Amino acid sequence: MRDSPTTNGCSRRSVLGSATAVGLTALAGCLGTPGILDGVTDDENAVAEGPPTVDRSFPQEYTIEELNDANLSDGPGQDGIPSIDDPQFAPSDEPPANLEGGDPVFGVELNGEAKAYPQYTLVWHEIVNDVVGGESVAVTYCPLTGTAQGFYRGESELGVSGRLINSNLVMFDRGTETWWPQILALGIRGPHEGEYLEEFQVVWTTWDRWREQYPETAVLTEDTGHIRNYGDDPYGEYNPRRGYYENDNTLFAPLATDDRFPMKAVVIGARNADGAMAVPKDTLRERTVVEGTMSETPYVTVYDEALDTGYVYRNPDGKSVEADEGTVVVDGDSYESNALPLEREIGFDAMWFAWYGYYPSTVVHE
Amino acid sequence: MSTTGRLAGWLNPRSRIEETIAATLLVVRRYDSLAVATAVVIGYLVAFLWAVGDLAVRPDVAANLIVIDDPLSRMFDRTGPASFEAVAMVDTGVVRILISPVNAAIGLLLAGLVGVNLGLTYLAVVQPAACGIGAGSGLLASFPALLSGTVCCGPVVLIALGIQARGLMLTMFVWLLPVGIGLLLVSQVYVAGKIDVAGAST
Repeated sequence: MRDSPTTNGCSRRSVLGSATAVGLTALAGCLGTPGILDGVTDDENAVAEGPPTVDRSFPQEYTIEELNDANLSDGPGQDGIPSIDDPQFAPSDEPPANLEGGDPVFGVELNGEAKAYPQYTLVWHEIVNDVVGGESVAVTYCPLTGTAQGFYRGESELGVSGRLINSNLVMFDRGTETWWPQILALGIRGPHEGEYLEEFQVVWTTWDRWREQYPETAVLTEDTGHIRNYGDDPYGEYNPRRGYYENDNTLFAPLATDDRFPMKAVVIGARNADGAMAVPKDTLRERTVVEGTMSETPYVTVYDEALDTGYVYRNPDGKSVEADEGTVVVDGDSYESNALPLEREIGFDAMWFAWYGYYPSTVVHE
Repeated sequence: MSTTGRLAGWLNPRSRIEETIAATLLVVRRYDSLAVATAVVIGYLVAFLWAVGDLAVRPDVAANLIVIDDPLSRMFDRTGPASFEAVAMVDTGVVRILISPVNAAIGLLLAGLVGVNLGLTYLAVVQPAACGIGAGSGLLASFPALLSGTVCCGPVVLIALGIQARGLMLTMFVWLLPVGIGLLLVSQVYVAGKIDVAGAST
């Protein structure tokens, strides 16, 4: 079993928030006595809570006002694209009939539990509120930007707001109704404005690759509680790639554009206090180890051939990192690509136009 | 009818409504116009359900029937400006039908209006009130129908056509359905006035 990134503990709950509960809890908070008002139970107070936030420092290329001004409705209203709130899973040897070996899945491994979320299901829902390895999490996917990201959700649930910024999914939490653009992980409207969600690594891979690495994985089924034409992607297809996922058209104008790569070229993006960086996935496949710097700090991205993914590491001491016959050698010792003795950053696949649109100051490591 | 008489008729709403009702009833009374209208209703409804994603060819899926929990309350949940949740799914082994009662009702309304419009257009061609009517009226009738038919799948249509959406365009999608229905009603009244109902009935 592979090592998992460090995570924080959160407990499970799955009840919708209500405006009344939010208001009452806010008032109770002002009075300094949560639950002081008649009829407000502990559970109702819990409902009004948002997801846990963390101190992070990401490059902010746009003000919150600019981000709010850039939001557009993509047609459906709030929850018009319904998240999956009671996900059902099957064992790896009984996957959904529509799931082929080469189909993309979003793999999550937390505290020893592995789960796969097929892209063809998430394209209709975009968010799964789930519990993995005892952690309350939301696995999120934006079809228009090709981004799959995981967030700790605490006592709240995340839903699809029906808004887009830079073609990217804007989530909302059902506890406080704060808006959270997915790629930015930043609250831009509501009680958590200016705060960041806590993320965990989601691996964009294929079903065959994930199942090979995690034979005990569970896989999300089509029993989502909603009726959809699963197996038919409204935007195109990944296996093989065609339609929106392959062409150079975007549905909305990006916030910023750059022609170094095709619009839908896949990059592995990472951002932190040092800045934002992107590694073209084709380059990573070819070179296995890609080095570069952000704010003069060395970074290294290593390719995991088994899962066709990459991991981004901060390498402040400039240790020697080299690929060697399926393993990665760091200062003379061999390691698995996902377990280097360096500080691992959250990195995820993104379409180039979306990454650059949000982070025009991004550096590219090639 | 003289030009003055026709103008007076146009300006008399009550007369126009009675004329439209009479012409519409004529469409269903005559076998030939009824056949035209029925064929259009069926064709349009099928195209509409396919466009909104409620009908698909899926020979890869075995015959099955799924009904969601609490269908009566969830059938009114919106999935778009003018599209609503499906509450059941029927797989026949050839086609997959998502049963969304509200989508089906909107589709039937539009298909009915388009069918009547084209039925009236057919009558106007074979039984003109005065100087005859050309195929232009048929196009007039079909345009608003096409317009409103795009509302349920607006952004997906843009993706298919590779068109970049602007804020104004997205706002416009919200109004396509009511505007389309309004145009169909206007078209129905217009074409009905081109028919010699008395002559066609005899």
